[in-house]
Amino acid sequence: MRDFLRLLRLLGPSWRWQATGILLGVLVIVSNVGLLALSGWFIAGMGLAGLGLLRIEYFLPAAAIRALAIARALGRYLERLVTHEATFRLLSDLRVWFYIRLEPLAPARLQRHRAGDLLSRIRADIDSLDNVYLRVLAPSVTALLCTVLILGFLARISTGAALADFLGLALVGLALPLAAFRAGRRSGRQAVALRGQLRAEIADTVRGFEELQVFGAMERQTSRHEAAYAQLTALQRRETLVEAAAGGAALFLVQATMLAALVVSIPLAMARTLPGPDIAMIALLVLASFDAVSGLPGAYRALGQTLAAARRIFEIVDTEPAVREPAQEAAPPTGFDITFRHVSLRYDDAEAWALRDVSFHIPAGGALGVMGTTGSGKTSLGNLLLRFWEFQEGEILVGGVPIRTLSGDTMRSYCAVIAQQTHLFNTSIRENLRIARPAATAAEMERALRDAGILDEVRAMPQGLDTMVGEMGTRLSGGQARRVAIARAFLKDAPILILDEPTEGLDAFSEHIVINALGRLKQGRTTLLITHRSQALRDIAQVFELERGTVLCRSKT
Amino acid sequence: MTSHKAPMPRGVSRALDGWLRRRAAIAKQPLRGAILLGAVNGLLLVPEAWLLARSITAVVFQHRGLAAVAPSLAIILGIALLRALLSHGATIAAMAASTRVKTDIRHALHAKIAALGPGFLGTQRSGDLASLLVEGVDALDNYYAAYLPQMAVATFLPVALLAFIFPVDWVSGIILLLGAPLIPIFMILIGRGTERLNQTQWRRLALMSAHFFDVVEGLSTLKLFGASRDAAGLIGRMSEDYRLSTMRVLRVAFLSSLVLEFFTTLGVAVIAVFVGFRLYYGEIQFLAGLFVLLLAPEFFRPLRAMGTQYHARMEAIGASERIVALLETPEPETPAGVAALPAGSGILRFEQVSFSYAPGEPVLEAIQFAIARGERVALVGPSGSGKSTVARLLLGLARPDSGRITQGDIDLASIAPDAWFRESSWMPQRPTLFAGTLAENIRLGAPDASMPEIIRAAEAAEAHLFISCLPHGYETVIGERGQGLSGGEIRRVALARALLKPARLLVLDEAEASLDAETASLIRAAIVRLPRDISVLLIAHRLESAEAADRILVLRQGRIVEEGTPATLRAGTGDYAAMSALYHEGAA
Repeated sequence: MRDFLRLLRLLGPSWRWQATGILLGVLVIVSNVGLLALSGWFIAGMGLAGLGLLRIEYFLPAAAIRALAIARALGRYLERLVTHEATFRLLSDLRVWFYIRLEPLAPARLQRHRAGDLLSRIRADIDSLDNVYLRVLAPSVTALLCTVLILGFLARISTGAALADFLGLALVGLALPLAAFRAGRRSGRQAVALRGQLRAEIADTVRGFEELQVFGAMERQTSRHEAAYAQLTALQRRETLVEAAAGGAALFLVQATMLAALVVSIPLAMARTLPGPDIAMIALLVLASFDAVSGLPGAYRALGQTLAAARRIFEIVDTEPAVREPAQEAAPPTGFDITFRHVSLRYDDAEAWALRDVSFHIPAGGALGVMGTTGSGKTSLGNLLLRFWEFQEGEILVGGVPIRTLSGDTMRSYCAVIAQQTHLFNTSIRENLRIARPAATAAEMERALRDAGILDEVRAMPQGLDTMVGEMGTRLSGGQARRVAIARAFLKDAPILILDEPTEGLDAFSEHIVINALGRLKQGRTTLLITHRSQALRDIAQVFELERGTVLCRSKT
Repeated sequence: MTSHKAPMPRGVSRALDGWLRRRAAIAKQPLRGAILLGAVNGLLLVPEAWLLARSITAVVFQHRGLAAVAPSLAIILGIALLRALLSHGATIAAMAASTRVKTDIRHALHAKIAALGPGFLGTQRSGDLASLLVEGVDALDNYYAAYLPQMAVATFLPVALLAFIFPVDWVSGIILLLGAPLIPIFMILIGRGTERLNQTQWRRLALMSAHFFDVVEGLSTLKLFGASRDAAGLIGRMSEDYRLSTMRVLRVAFLSSLVLEFFTTLGVAVIAVFVGFRLYYGEIQFLAGLFVLLLAPEFFRPLRAMGTQYHARMEAIGASERIVALLETPEPETPAGVAALPAGSGILRFEQVSFSYAPGEPVLEAIQFAIARGERVALVGPSGSGKSTVARLLLGLARPDSGRITQGDIDLASIAPDAWFRESSWMPQRPTLFAGTLAENIRLGAPDASMPEIIRAAEAAEAHLFISCLPHGYETVIGERGQGLSGGEIRRVALARALLKPARLLVLDEAEASLDAETASLIRAAIVRLPRDISVLLIAHRLESAEAADRILVLRQGRIVEEGTPATLRAGTGDYAAMSALYHEGAA
């Protein structure tokens, strides 16, 4: 419920559009119900008038019938336009809202979830939040308003008929869909889980197709899939059974409600307290009134999805940022030597120390090499300097200034990073370089590319600097992508350089080119080189080895 | 919300519609059942309307009481119950039809994927294929469970209702007859105009979404450059642009529904007014008038539902596009061999083997080498030089374009693929762990292996220690893409798998990548200890591993440029000596 209210508050900025959409929706349904009810009343009245049993002013109702028909058609058109306008405004508001809250959390608080998983979850969740107005809110509010209007009108003619209609609407609009939702919930959830599992297993089969062939395991794998499909079909069958039962029951209840309304109002007509034409009107009005609740079952289904999505999105945005910014920033350092004094870090109170009592000093413009196996904590050193993570003990100084007194943005503006998984954006090489220096001229870009040892290759590309790098830089080779990242670091021209396995995953030739480029980049910058390969550290004066967060041995060569 | 699928040219969508329809042949019976039940359900509207009109006439015009009309009302209740049961049955029959077709399509897709083989799969993203088989096929549901049966009922029912309305009141019959056909005509005219607009709109939406998630994914990089906060404004601007241009399209696109609403609602209104005035002048009976008024909305109902059905159809057609494309991908023509593999220990030979994945881009050119039984041969060279392709050819996963690979003197192409696979074991460059336990993964190629045998293989691959540290040890269930294990751990499990399978040829593609130096050297030692009747092809990234081989082949741009023992190559002046120098020189 709290999530729901919070979700409603998010809808705020475009509420005028949303309210207008709902009012138009009410107009559409009320016009239709009015059209049918008035038609029934009109022909019964005209029949009685034809027999001389009733005097009728026929001009007005005949015109009203046509007016209602036109109002319904035009209203529907406007309703669709306005509700879509509201949805698109909401989509824009939501994405900006989410992004602004996500930004301080990256990357520390997002690492806990696996990258690909988190992203695809966010993708689906944001999409289902986009639909909260169109699929949940608008149909629910419209149904409520229409029901009140219709029943209010009916109650003035016959309280009994109104009561019957109320019961029918409550059963068809509320009780039945809720019962169906409950009955189908378990198999629905199982089906979602099973689909995910099946998808993962089929992806394995496709990826590992050749291994399955060589290891003679293809048949075993296929029969596994067949069994899962059969299970999925059984679940879907159960869901359909529930849906079919609910559909049939709704159809029956609509007719039964109409009959009940007639049964209570016919005696009134006999007693002459109800005019004859009203009987015809009641029958048609009650039948048509179920239009008002037709959108509800869909809304309930969407509500469950949307709330689950909202809960996950709120959970992400409610996370405390890993690093607290200083209330007032200290004066910037003038030099860029780096000092770690007895620094300890753990990512979670329940976890082991990722760094334990680490101390070192890198003189300005000097270099430190850090070796260690996967999981030794060496990447954490860079994360601390970049203020992506907070350390629990000790002190880190840059140019003598404690980095806790500097804002994250300031610290990051001092650092350039080359890592194995540097992100290239799916745009041109030019735009990727511009991130480092928005005002960079073409000449500056070319110089950076030349320093990174990739200028000739970029020039040889048909579109040159405007070559698109593809999703995650996939249109470039691994070595090229790494060197574009190096060019970006040249452009940024920061005094501190963090190299985290800068040549991992490259073949010997690309590695050689990248190492040469890094050699040029290192000139005059305080450098932290993190690697698991001793060859890469050959001409670095100061080297130490990390194991499980502690410094093992130091060497000066 | 607007559909996320790109609209397609009319001709293509019609062809796909035909394909979907042909697929329904397998579910003829349940489909007929669904249509029949739906039609009977619709026809029951006639007696229901007639009885209701008669009851109301009796009350209003003959002042009859509840007792007089009660039997009619009871029958209506009975009919309502019957209709509810029919609708229930129709839904279930339609679902059965859809299930039958979907199962058939999934079978066909799996068979096709097997027939296309790795050459094709290599060009696909595994996640895309997986969601095609699961969600893609499920997206056809609406076509078979809703569109096909309901369209059949929708074409039948209005005509049938008209047949009952005409004898009762021919004037109303003519009004309906005139109004109905106009609707589809208008919808087609307007639909054509919006189709092109939709197409560009769809591209915009895809672009906007992709941009948003690219920014989210690269958030830490943006932060590094202090550009992360500017991106919020850009995201807002892009969605605004999208809203403005989409609304322009929708203003036109929604006109079709306006026309539909206009005709169907006005049809009912005109009938009501006409019936009213003719009643006033005594030209028809009230019973007839009310009967027609009750049926008029039902006459239009299926036509109105056509909009929804049209949408379901387009969605299914969109989903079918990739299914059909996959099923119609031409299969590789080379027929597989059938001969059994003779026992014995012949030499494996590449004889002038050339290979390319795409015409005009040769990957291997006239490769020639031999591996004697029990020999360890290392293959080195820069990435992209064709090392992994040599491994795939050797394993029989691909066939040479020209030249041949022989075992003894028998061409591999003439041997049944499974027979050759039985003799080989392999650790690929990017190994896959399959859903299941670690033990299951290690015994993939030796399903009957005992636990001690599994442990022995894991020990040789340096995997035993970390596996025994896991809470469930060898029974640990691993998630997608080996979730929970590091890259190095996945590779060691894959190595254990390759070592466990009894084989006479073992291919190790970068067995030591992403391992630290110590683990790598332990694994190197395990490879050296392998029994001497197994031939080994080692593809090496690190030159240390190549040094342990009996012989080294140096590959460059698809050709073998050097061959010899490690010592002779190092002493030479060729590529290997150059690479070795670069490698040991290390970082600058």
